[in-house]
Amino acid sequence: MQQNSFDTAPMAARVQNLTKTFGAGESRVHALDDVTIGLRRGEFTAIMGPSGSGKSTLMHVMAGLDAATSGRAFIGDTEITGLSDLDLTVLRRSRVGFVFQSFNLVPTLDVLGNITLPFELAGRSPSAEARRRIDALVESMGLGGRLRHRPHELSGGQQQRVAIARALATQPDLIFADEPTGNLDSRTGREVLALLAAASREHGQSIAMVTHDPMAASHADRVIFLGDGRVMADTPRQSAEAISAYMLSSEVGA
Amino acid sequence: MSAVVERPVRASRPRRLTRSLPRAERGLGASVLVAAISSGFGTLLIAATGFIGAWLLAAPYLAGRESVVVVVAILSALLVGVAMFVAAIVTTTTFATIVAGRTRQIALMRLIGASARSERVRVARQGLVVGAIGAAVGLIGGTAGAAALLPVARTVWGIDVEYALLQPVLVAPAVIVTLTTWAAAWAGSRRVLEVTPLEAISGATERNRSEAVGGRARRIVAGILFLGGSLVLAAGVALGLLSPLGVVVAFVGGIFSFTGLSLGATVIMPPVLRVTGRLFGRSAEARLAAENALRYPERSSRMAIGVVMGVTLVTMFAVASQSAREVLISSGGGEPPEELLSLMDTFAAIMMSLVDVSAVIAAVGLVNLLTLGVIQRRRELGLLRTLGFAAPQIRRMVLLEAAHLTVTSVALGLLLGVVYGWAGAQSLLGSVGVPPEFSSPTFVLPAIPWATVGIVAVATALLTAVAAVAPTRLATAVSPIDALAGD
Repeated sequence: MQQNSFDTAPMAARVQNLTKTFGAGESRVHALDDVTIGLRRGEFTAIMGPSGSGKSTLMHVMAGLDAATSGRAFIGDTEITGLSDLDLTVLRRSRVGFVFQSFNLVPTLDVLGNITLPFELAGRSPSAEARRRIDALVESMGLGGRLRHRPHELSGGQQQRVAIARALATQPDLIFADEPTGNLDSRTGREVLALLAAASREHGQSIAMVTHDPMAASHADRVIFLGDGRVMADTPRQSAEAISAYMLSSEVGA
Repeated sequence: MSAVVERPVRASRPRRLTRSLPRAERGLGASVLVAAISSGFGTLLIAATGFIGAWLLAAPYLAGRESVVVVVAILSALLVGVAMFVAAIVTTTTFATIVAGRTRQIALMRLIGASARSERVRVARQGLVVGAIGAAVGLIGGTAGAAALLPVARTVWGIDVEYALLQPVLVAPAVIVTLTTWAAAWAGSRRVLEVTPLEAISGATERNRSEAVGGRARRIVAGILFLGGSLVLAAGVALGLLSPLGVVVAFVGGIFSFTGLSLGATVIMPPVLRVTGRLFGRSAEARLAAENALRYPERSSRMAIGVVMGVTLVTMFAVASQSAREVLISSGGGEPPEELLSLMDTFAAIMMSLVDVSAVIAAVGLVNLLTLGVIQRRRELGLLRTLGFAAPQIRRMVLLEAAHLTVTSVALGLLLGVVYGWAGAQSLLGSVGVPPEFSSPTFVLPAIPWATVGIVAVATALLTAVAAVAPTRLATAVSPIDALAGD
């Protein structure tokens, strides 16, 4: 089932021989154990695995939020291993987008302020083109009438749509979504997943989604399973049933 | 306040519930300090007043000495009162902030079966303990200070009078401070009643609950006090054109109008803060800082009004004495007696240094507010770091937040101080003849003591820098992963 296009397709992000250990001696834990994967450009990838499988750590390292113990990490063609904090900050600001489980909007800013925040952090206002893109995003996310609302006036689904619009606004190389449906009811969760899938399909947005929900992963073009810090399987689109079956069998087999 | 600095911010990322306990204790340190300062100040001032009183009464040649003793007693009671008032404001705000940070813990207690009222009583009891500890420290410190200073006063001024330092009345400030801290903790913990058990199990979403901006009744009372007080103040100024007794009327008006101002702080301060926010420009960090300063309008306003009070009082004494000096100089057609001038200067200097205590208490509160604000915003700061805020930008944001509050309060305090100081001088001296006509009434121009203004400005910059040290350190230590860590 291993995909063989690793070297040919352009990569949104990749890691080579990534190892991450916590602690020392007896209590030493391998969060990541020699992981090598690439996330293809324009693809919606789900990273799955039980708690403690290393999926969050992998995402932190790939997004330049945490440093690996050994191995290399790239965003596009830029190697991020060993970049300074400031360089990483600028890189995240311009080339990586984030969607979180708990939405993480800035409570003091209204919807529009939250969406344009990445531009303002960079000290520039959105270009005319970016402005048009933001308008289209606001429209497609159904946030048109809510631009002046504060996050606490919105429902969970609306907040997550604002977060997605914020992530898409800068057209980053890659969007990391960390359990984006974890705090949503199943119907709202499906809507959010459909929005992510549409962004990938229609605008070629690369997305990496960390989740342990087979339903959520079934929306992705590709599913990577992690277990004990290693890649256990790497499959194209799967139904939720197939994903559940795989997870159950690996659980039983372990 | 500064006790916060040592704590490594991201030690092992323990769960929020356990983390909120030491965090709360840290905020309480400031309340102990505030209680200690105000009760120590009270003790010291009572001892000093008693000593001066004993000395004056022992001097048989001084005419009208009883009334002088009464005036000194009233003045020191007022000064202690102001310090305690500011301390109570600071404590109320501290507890409101602590309760906000403890929401999840309180919700858990509610979930397990505690009643909202019993939780609030628990918080208030902490206030009682904190107040008692601070008051005891202040009582001991103040008494020790008085014991050390009295012999100095005896030798320096050659005062030889019998005065027993240890008197029951010295305990009064400590008792009052304990009770006001208790009451302030009770007032500040009002929000405990709004915490529902559900908040312990609901998602990790942080609710940005808007704090109630005071009741309607309070706003009306504040408005009446302010308008009525201002009218009385104006009447005092008008009366002062005929008789020096106008100052008594003006004094009453001043107290009323300023009380109205403090009560109405939540109405007055936010728009003023907003104006200051515009001054900092439109950069992302400036805008976020401006919004943060207004996130909890009630807390910010209360804190700001504490600083305003201190600055107003200092400026008021400086302006009044400077204006009075100029009127005396021009009315006398030359230099008035040197003794009179130096007496006035000494009086103003003593009053200014004594009201400084209130300013210090307000500053402690400000530092504490900013620090707790940063601690409670870890997630959000982590988010900003994740989205691309560089560490220097975070530092600038927190510094601007501090500057926002200090600049606003100091500017307002200077303005009010000039108005009140001028009103005092005008109402006292408006009936004094001034050349060339030597006829009443006289218009006293408000004389701005630039030296004082300069000192206040420098103190503001210092306060801003000091207030921002601990919070900026904490804020820049937040790692982006803090935003992603679910709690």
